[in-house]
Amino acid sequence: MKEVELDCLGEACPIPLVKAENKLKEMEIGDVLIVQIDHSCAMKNVPEWARKEGHNVEVEEIDDGEWEIIIEKVK
Amino acid sequence: MREKKREEYDVVIIGGGAAGLTAGIYCGRAQLKTLIIEKALVGGLATYTNEIENYPGFPEGTNGLDLMNLFQKQAKKFGVAFKLTDVKKVKLDSPKKEVETFRNIFEAKAVIIATGGSPRITKATNEEKFLFDKGISFCATCDAAANTDKTVMVIGSGDAAIEEGMFLSKFASKIIVSVIHDEGKMDCNEIAKAQALSNDKMEFKWNTMVNSFEGQDHLETVVLKNLKTGKLETITVDTCFEFIGYTPNTEIFAEVVQLSKMGYLITNLNMETELPGVFGAGDVRNKELRQVSTAVGDGAKAGVAAEKFIAETEIFKNQILQKEKVGFIYIYSATNAPSMELLPMMQDIEKEFITDVKLNILDVYKGKSLCDRLACDVEPMTIFYTKDGEVIEQSSQCDRPHITEKLKSLL
Repeated sequence: MKEVELDCLGEACPIPLVKAENKLKEMEIGDVLIVQIDHSCAMKNVPEWARKEGHNVEVEEIDDGEWEIIIEKVK
Repeated sequence: MREKKREEYDVVIIGGGAAGLTAGIYCGRAQLKTLIIEKALVGGLATYTNEIENYPGFPEGTNGLDLMNLFQKQAKKFGVAFKLTDVKKVKLDSPKKEVETFRNIFEAKAVIIATGGSPRITKATNEEKFLFDKGISFCATCDAAANTDKTVMVIGSGDAAIEEGMFLSKFASKIIVSVIHDEGKMDCNEIAKAQALSNDKMEFKWNTMVNSFEGQDHLETVVLKNLKTGKLETITVDTCFEFIGYTPNTEIFAEVVQLSKMGYLITNLNMETELPGVFGAGDVRNKELRQVSTAVGDGAKAGVAAEKFIAETEIFKNQILQKEKVGFIYIYSATNAPSMELLPMMQDIEKEFITDVKLNILDVYKGKSLCDRLACDVEPMTIFYTKDGEVIEQSSQCDRPHITEKLKSLL
């Protein structure tokens, strides 16, 4: 079980979502993907997509206007 | 399995809607280390409403998202931490409570459940397009005034549907009620039914359910399907009100804390559940009116109750049940004269033992909740003897020789 960080700082929608989707495909069940973002729209669409897919999701505010979306691949 | 990280808080609030945020403001301001856990976006159900016209302080009206952002800003100002994730499991029946998310276990002295709920929807075609501020409403209190002299539809025939329908008839010019049952059969109480049937503004469509919702940006027509004939009927309306039930978000609490038959959290007027240190606030509670303003009231009460609970727990542990000395706790009541007359004697006894014994006095009239921690509904003129932080004996014998004897035996 590994943790992978995905740097999407400075990138606007839908790039973080597309990158996260592609990255998660390469990963194994139980792995954790940490998507770093600073565009608030990604804070909505990335967690929404991940939840809809059934993964475990947590959003952490790292700094003002900077978030980490933590996704555990469950299937 | 990855080891979950443990973090300690004074208060963990589950749910970041109006109730949870208000509770957070009160707890944060009381300098408690406070965490709010929200599974989606902070603000809760209120953020789905475009106009909020009845929340005091905003004479020009406001929208749900802006209002909730202000709530969150205020909570953050008082140092409240936020975690945006789902709560998977809770353990609430011990002094140290646990709230588990997929990466963390949060430990708390008090937990406030403010998980809210959501209205049930018909799941008819296009429903998602018009929810909340686009023509499908779940709240007559919220949207009746905006429908003055308009035509509205009500879905459902339970108490809520019919009573809200009658309330709407004071504003709207016509109310079309879609009822799934045969003509004359409704789920509401008989009185409401009789009143509704004789209300000129209300028209009933029996044996119908919604087939689809149609319109451009806003709802324009509702297509009803007659279940007997299969015939479709298109009806032009300004707003469609759905009253087919409400689902509280209490699945994870089902076996943990007392819920009503419909799944709502049961609390008393101080927002206390049956579990010490566990409080409820907002839409998740078993109550009548679900508004931002009632959620705010609940949140304030729950926040203060949690603060009081934590303070009392400290006092109870460190002062009342102190470990340093043999102790005796005298229970009196400010409304019971004989019990008050014994106070000087009790202080005398403490002096007699110089520094070996500690007396605590508790007024059951003013401090019932502290007394209840010793024993439920304790009477005035009761003495509890303690040693090493534990109650050894409860006694109602308040004469001096008996007390002295007992204390000597414990030393």
